[in-house]
Amino acid sequence: MIDQKTMAYLNMYAVLGTLENLCELDGKSKEILSSLKKPVSLCFDVKDGPAATLTFSQKGCRMEDGVRKCDIKIPVSSCEKFNKIIDGTVTPVPSKGFAKIGFLLKTFTALTDRLAELMRPTEEALKDREFFELSTILTFYTISVALAQIGNQDPIGVHSAAYMVDGDVYFGIGDSPAATLRVKDHHLVTIKKAPENPRAIMKFADLDLAYALFTGTANALECVCNGSIEIHGMASMIDNMNRLLDRVALYLG
Amino acid sequence: MSKYPEYKHDKGRAYFDRALKVIPAGIYGHLGPSEGLWIPIQKWPFYSEKAQGSYFWDLDGNKYIDYMCAYGPNVLGYNDPDVDAAAMKQLKLGNCTTAPSKIMVDCAENLVDTVASADWAFFCKNGSDTTTLAVMTARAHTHKRKIIFLKGYYHGDFQWAQKIDYPGVLPEDVCHNLVAPWFDVDALQKLYDEYDGDIAGLIAQPYDHGNFYDNVPANKEYWQSVRKWCDDHGVVLIFDDVRAGFRLDIAGSDHYYGIKADLICFCKALANGYNMSALCGGEHMKNTVAGMTYTGSYWMSAVPFAACIACIDKMKKIDLPAHCRRLGTKLTNGLKEAAANNGFDLVISGEPALFYLRIANDDSLMLHQEWIAECVCRGLFLASHHNHFINGSLTDDDVELSIDIAEDAFNVVRKNHPELR
Repeated sequence: MIDQKTMAYLNMYAVLGTLENLCELDGKSKEILSSLKKPVSLCFDVKDGPAATLTFSQKGCRMEDGVRKCDIKIPVSSCEKFNKIIDGTVTPVPSKGFAKIGFLLKTFTALTDRLAELMRPTEEALKDREFFELSTILTFYTISVALAQIGNQDPIGVHSAAYMVDGDVYFGIGDSPAATLRVKDHHLVTIKKAPENPRAIMKFADLDLAYALFTGTANALECVCNGSIEIHGMASMIDNMNRLLDRVALYLG
Repeated sequence: MSKYPEYKHDKGRAYFDRALKVIPAGIYGHLGPSEGLWIPIQKWPFYSEKAQGSYFWDLDGNKYIDYMCAYGPNVLGYNDPDVDAAAMKQLKLGNCTTAPSKIMVDCAENLVDTVASADWAFFCKNGSDTTTLAVMTARAHTHKRKIIFLKGYYHGDFQWAQKIDYPGVLPEDVCHNLVAPWFDVDALQKLYDEYDGDIAGLIAQPYDHGNFYDNVPANKEYWQSVRKWCDDHGVVLIFDDVRAGFRLDIAGSDHYYGIKADLICFCKALANGYNMSALCGGEHMKNTVAGMTYTGSYWMSAVPFAACIACIDKMKKIDLPAHCRRLGTKLTNGLKEAAANNGFDLVISGEPALFYLRIANDDSLMLHQEWIAECVCRGLFLASHHNHFINGSLTDDDVELSIDIAEDAFNVVRKNHPELR
């Protein structure tokens, strides 16, 4: 069962957070940002839920946790409502920044549409190898961040986190991309780069395998058995991370 | 140059590739690459061709001295002649029959005469069958709901014994499971008070022999205090002796710690690999068990009963616990010394009969996994995450060979890690 609060954290940090990677890796998104004359910051503040500030400039996008100084502020009355905003079934209403409404309607919407195109791709679009690779890499970053949110928020996910010892888990695909799942006192944080001294490693052989795993056409345990997923180190961390991965599919599937 | 050249597993890998097409995960469960932590997979043999005594051979003809013992069942040595002869004799008389063979009674009497806390025996097939029956019996006996587990527990893979975040497990399956820390009787009282005394049973292995961490032996004082607490509060004490059973004490691990459990579960070492398990218990639990609806198609098959009788008789004859303690101690002392010779700190924990190993030079177990892999691919079969098992056919020569292979593997790992010098 999906927990709305957990979903809100996923939508904020894992989904909107992937705008950072989109703006870094996608030519079309860079083109959209090129029209910005100066940086614009946008803050979502969800009651009893997450709050984060996104800053967009021609150089890219950066997400910071919490309510920061911003040009546009969108307060949201509940996690449920925020999830509907991300679904596109509710229109966000800013409390501040009406002068920048054009950014919301034009630039931000264009970026989120592009993100949706890559995160929920058509079969036809995936035939383009470049599109496939970008789509899979962005999905990887979304999942990496979702792992931490589920471990911290989801009523069942917290049980998996409770069995994880302190340390960094390397989570990656082939030679790149990679992320760190950092565990400290059973609280999880995702850092979108490889750890220097991982205590455990889980590495998918390549992007094709990662795509198969993300779309549920391959099973992680079976891939460990056939050698296409490489694991090392504190296996109890990987075991529990795998249980979190199982729940990511529930939320993002 | 390595004294023991690294094995190749071409035939084993080919079979495994066939298996992946027709068997989920190729080899599922604890004997397979995932739960068995074959890191990296190419160092492991996949399948066995044959086995004898303390050894098995893989499909490529490589020989392994085996300290996993099929994760416990190989207690006297593979193909023990006395056990196999008894089983074959019974096979010719009958096995899975409509009217159970009388040998079932002989087997139960043998267990009652052997296990100090047993006044009866109820036979099943797997360890999980007995732990499940034990938990059901505790609830039926007390008309209470909650079961206390001790941290790091493993009591099989049935839904009730898994954890809330495991695939296919519902919160409702595990909602009456409570977890207390080891060696803390006050924590038991706290749970009892928190749940208004709705505690049916406490299920535990004889000591803390969980995976991925150093094992912690118990002592008589601890178990005697738990026994008293259970008596004072009407809580059924269940000993899960599936893993440790008979290797610590022929009369049961509860006897080893100077107590009598209300219920005690046996499986692995019961019949030297013939498939059976048994729940035993005190007279006061017998009527409750008699009233349970619980059976299985093969639970009264006669061949394993014959094997069980022969196995128990032989374990007594050779004083299996003393044998396991002596050779387990000799082996682990030798491994520790071989590690030190190569600059590694090998931590030995748990009982010598079921020793657990961990290289402590790093905190990730990566060095440890590397060493285990180098041992396995040179013919010394160990596991990186689990306790090991000594068996009754193991000899001093086997132990000396094992230490020699281990030292060779340490040497390989040391050469691979110049940064450790």
